[in-house]
Amino acid sequence: MHTVIIIGGGPAGCEAAYQLASDGIQVHLIEKNNETGGNLNNWYQLFPDRKNAQDLNKRLQEQLNHPGITLHLGMEPSRVEKDGQGRFSVSLSDGSLLEGDALLVATGFKTFDAKRKEEYGYGIYENVVTSVDLENMFRNHAIRTSKGDVPRRIGIIHCVGSRDEKVCNFHCSKLCCITGVKQAIELREMLPESEIFCFYMDMRMFGPGYEEMYREAQEKYNIKFIRGRLSEAAENREHQVQVKVEDTLLGRPLRVTLDLMVLLVGMEASNETQGMARELGVKLAPSGFILPLDPHYGNNLTGEKGVFITGCCSAPMNLTDTLNDARSAAVCITRYLNMK
Amino acid sequence: MGDILKRLREDIHFMEGFNSCMNCGVCTAICPAAEFYNYDPRVIVETVQRGDEGEIEELLKSDTIWYCGECMSCKTRCPRCNTPGLVIMGLRKVSQELGYFVHSEKGRQQYALKHVIGESVLKRGYCVTPDLVKPEMHPEQGPVWEWIYEHMDDFYDRVHGNLRKPGAGALRAVDAESMDELHRIFDVTGGTEFLNQIESYSREKAEEEGTDLEEGYFLRTYMENSGNHQ
Amino acid sequence: MNLEGKQQVWKDYQKEIADDRYYYARSCIRQTFFPGSEWAYLDILKNKLGKDVLDDPRHTTCTGIGYHSDVVPVQTIMTVVARHFALMTEAGYENITPSCITSFGIYTEILETWAHHPEIEEQIREYLWKATGREFKKPKNLAHTSDIIYKFREDIAAQARYKLVDVHTGRQLRGVDHIGCHYAKMFPSKGIGGAEFPAVLSGMISSWGGDVVDYPERRHCCGFGFRQYLVMANRGYSVANSKKKFESMRPYEPDFIVANCPGCAMFLDKWQYTISEMEGTTYGQDGYGIPVLTYEELAGLVLGYDPWELGLQMHQVAVEPLLDKMGIAYDPEMKYRTKEGKDIGRPKCPTYLKV
Repeated sequence: MHTVIIIGGGPAGCEAAYQLASDGIQVHLIEKNNETGGNLNNWYQLFPDRKNAQDLNKRLQEQLNHPGITLHLGMEPSRVEKDGQGRFSVSLSDGSLLEGDALLVATGFKTFDAKRKEEYGYGIYENVVTSVDLENMFRNHAIRTSKGDVPRRIGIIHCVGSRDEKVCNFHCSKLCCITGVKQAIELREMLPESEIFCFYMDMRMFGPGYEEMYREAQEKYNIKFIRGRLSEAAENREHQVQVKVEDTLLGRPLRVTLDLMVLLVGMEASNETQGMARELGVKLAPSGFILPLDPHYGNNLTGEKGVFITGCCSAPMNLTDTLNDARSAAVCITRYLNMK
Repeated sequence: MGDILKRLREDIHFMEGFNSCMNCGVCTAICPAAEFYNYDPRVIVETVQRGDEGEIEELLKSDTIWYCGECMSCKTRCPRCNTPGLVIMGLRKVSQELGYFVHSEKGRQQYALKHVIGESVLKRGYCVTPDLVKPEMHPEQGPVWEWIYEHMDDFYDRVHGNLRKPGAGALRAVDAESMDELHRIFDVTGGTEFLNQIESYSREKAEEEGTDLEEGYFLRTYMENSGNHQ
Repeated sequence: MNLEGKQQVWKDYQKEIADDRYYYARSCIRQTFFPGSEWAYLDILKNKLGKDVLDDPRHTTCTGIGYHSDVVPVQTIMTVVARHFALMTEAGYENITPSCITSFGIYTEILETWAHHPEIEEQIREYLWKATGREFKKPKNLAHTSDIIYKFREDIAAQARYKLVDVHTGRQLRGVDHIGCHYAKMFPSKGIGGAEFPAVLSGMISSWGGDVVDYPERRHCCGFGFRQYLVMANRGYSVANSKKKFESMRPYEPDFIVANCPGCAMFLDKWQYTISEMEGTTYGQDGYGIPVLTYEELAGLVLGYDPWELGLQMHQVAVEPLLDKMGIAYDPEMKYRTKEGKDIGRPKCPTYLKV
């Protein structure tokens, strides 16, 4: 029987583990945290259907109860070696050793550290939060300013850490636009009296139902979309955030005072993704994500035989695409093992 | 490629200042000129990006390129590492080389700047000196400055100035050898020619209008404001 | 506002500043409007800090105001600056410290351009040789003079005779820092604290006992804009931008403004007068303006220099309210006299602005 070692227990790693195990393959799933789910653990509701993110997370966890899957929680691979027969041995942080016939990297993304966009004042101005912080506020059903007031005017800032040479991220993180739309609607539902603005450059509504959700945000939820990228933010005496932005469709510089500013932080390759790439000798794209062998036909393959990739370690993806990508990786691995 | 675009692409400021633009507006959002004038640096860059020679020629003949204050705040912000302020410097240079600047009210002011700053550099070795800040031309400086101006020789001594005297210290006279070197630098590097070019295009314009360059034309370019800029 | 967040940013932008042996380059605007500041800077460095500074009478303007008014071509200014480098090299110095922010920005830009385009540096070397027969080494260290004062701010604090504290109430004085645009906006890594939260002046205020005011329009330009001030017809641009800053800082009731750019210091001072004449508005307490100081003046006051020797009588906004708060003794009779004590009259009073 063949064994596959999967590194990373986010949605991609979990789904791939289940698919491989269902095909009768032994799976070791390594996850650095004490629970699986990865970034999904930080999410409240999913787009575009607004399902509870934790329902999906639970389902993915339940699938791991398969007898073919061995879960290694709270573990990190400290060393990976490949022998002449193409077998991998992975040393774990507790000193134990796993052996497998193929390796699947599912180490995912990290959200952009908003402090690096200094002119937005995250970590300095009191009422600047990230989209991740906002999800947490949603889960606690408490949208409040630092003083504990209901925010009357909220600004959602697109492209924070994406499409920005100044922070060395040329790429589009793809999901922030729809996240912004979803969060604007959620805010509107909780705060019917507040004014909500989205400051965007392009609305990239790439998934099914996304464009419709954007339209609904405009028509039904009265979210105001202003086409302009945030230039800078400052804090006033009342701890409000004063932002400067151009309304590019009118060609006018604007100053807007916000009670709460939400930064839609982009996606970067996680430290583990970059570390694994170094360890395994696989190439990185200029974006910092792992470069697949071919963008169309080999998106789960790397230049290293027996090393496969799935999910957001290779590019920003939504959950639908991530789960599909995991199944696709499982198919590639099964075929590879059968030909061995 | 037309002559203007060719000149622009050879200009070091233009080369350093322009990559490609996605029209995000971060430059305009913090631009001091955009707050005051009917001015949008994003649109300038977009115009250059479109690359239509006729459109750019029109820009070079307009007031628009003269609204920027070259504070370079836009350089800090642009996510594509453009600097609209440097693009402006390139456009202004070409506008002056081709004589287009005399077509607009704000462009014609280059004569005033040449006359005041350019000539001061060549005459005194400084861009600005106290005698240049004449109270009647600078009412905003207020009564303290007026008082200093009137008592210049007595006054600067008190605050450790060395006004127009040899040796070291604030406002010292620049020695003859250094002035010669400065002049030769202007000659060798095209600085003198550039100033002369501004003057000759302006002289033509002044003659066309029947005004005296150094009096009527200068005062007009220095003081005229049609009020059509905001 | 979270100070720790700012401190983290400051850590990310530490800049190397030479310890001694500086070639000093004066500023056209500073020597015209703040000659006392240039004197105080040299005196502090030489006599209080024991540093070697060369005040070389042979250097000229860098032509920066002409350059940013677009009447001086880039090759010309580069060659003028190259001559300054040559004078520095010939005198045996390696660290250059311009007093002007426009110059500092230009020197930085030139060195960056040469690093990207060595062929331009070569061309400039040829121009300089042809025009003057001089050769140069590029400076090992380039720092603005405010960087130098920042570097030695604690040494100055150790010799301080006065603190930025209201002697009557014990309250820390509130200082607004205004950083010249060309200090770090073009090359954030060349400024202490970077472009967004520069620490070069706020660090001085803190070290000398004051409290730093951070207000929404802190980063905004003073409005000089070169041609936008130099040509009379354009001055609305200048005053409008300064006004934006005054309106934004007023609610914080600052006791003083400190600037590292000589132009900014002059405009923020003079425009308060202009706005008061135009609209009757004043921004300080009881009809006074907000005193605007250069960092040399601020250091000078802290060290106990005589305010009139520093040239504070050249300001349009009266500095006495600040001197009184700091408990600095001064002779009001001497304010407008010559060095010998001769009476040369006194300035007229503004209509609204109290002096």
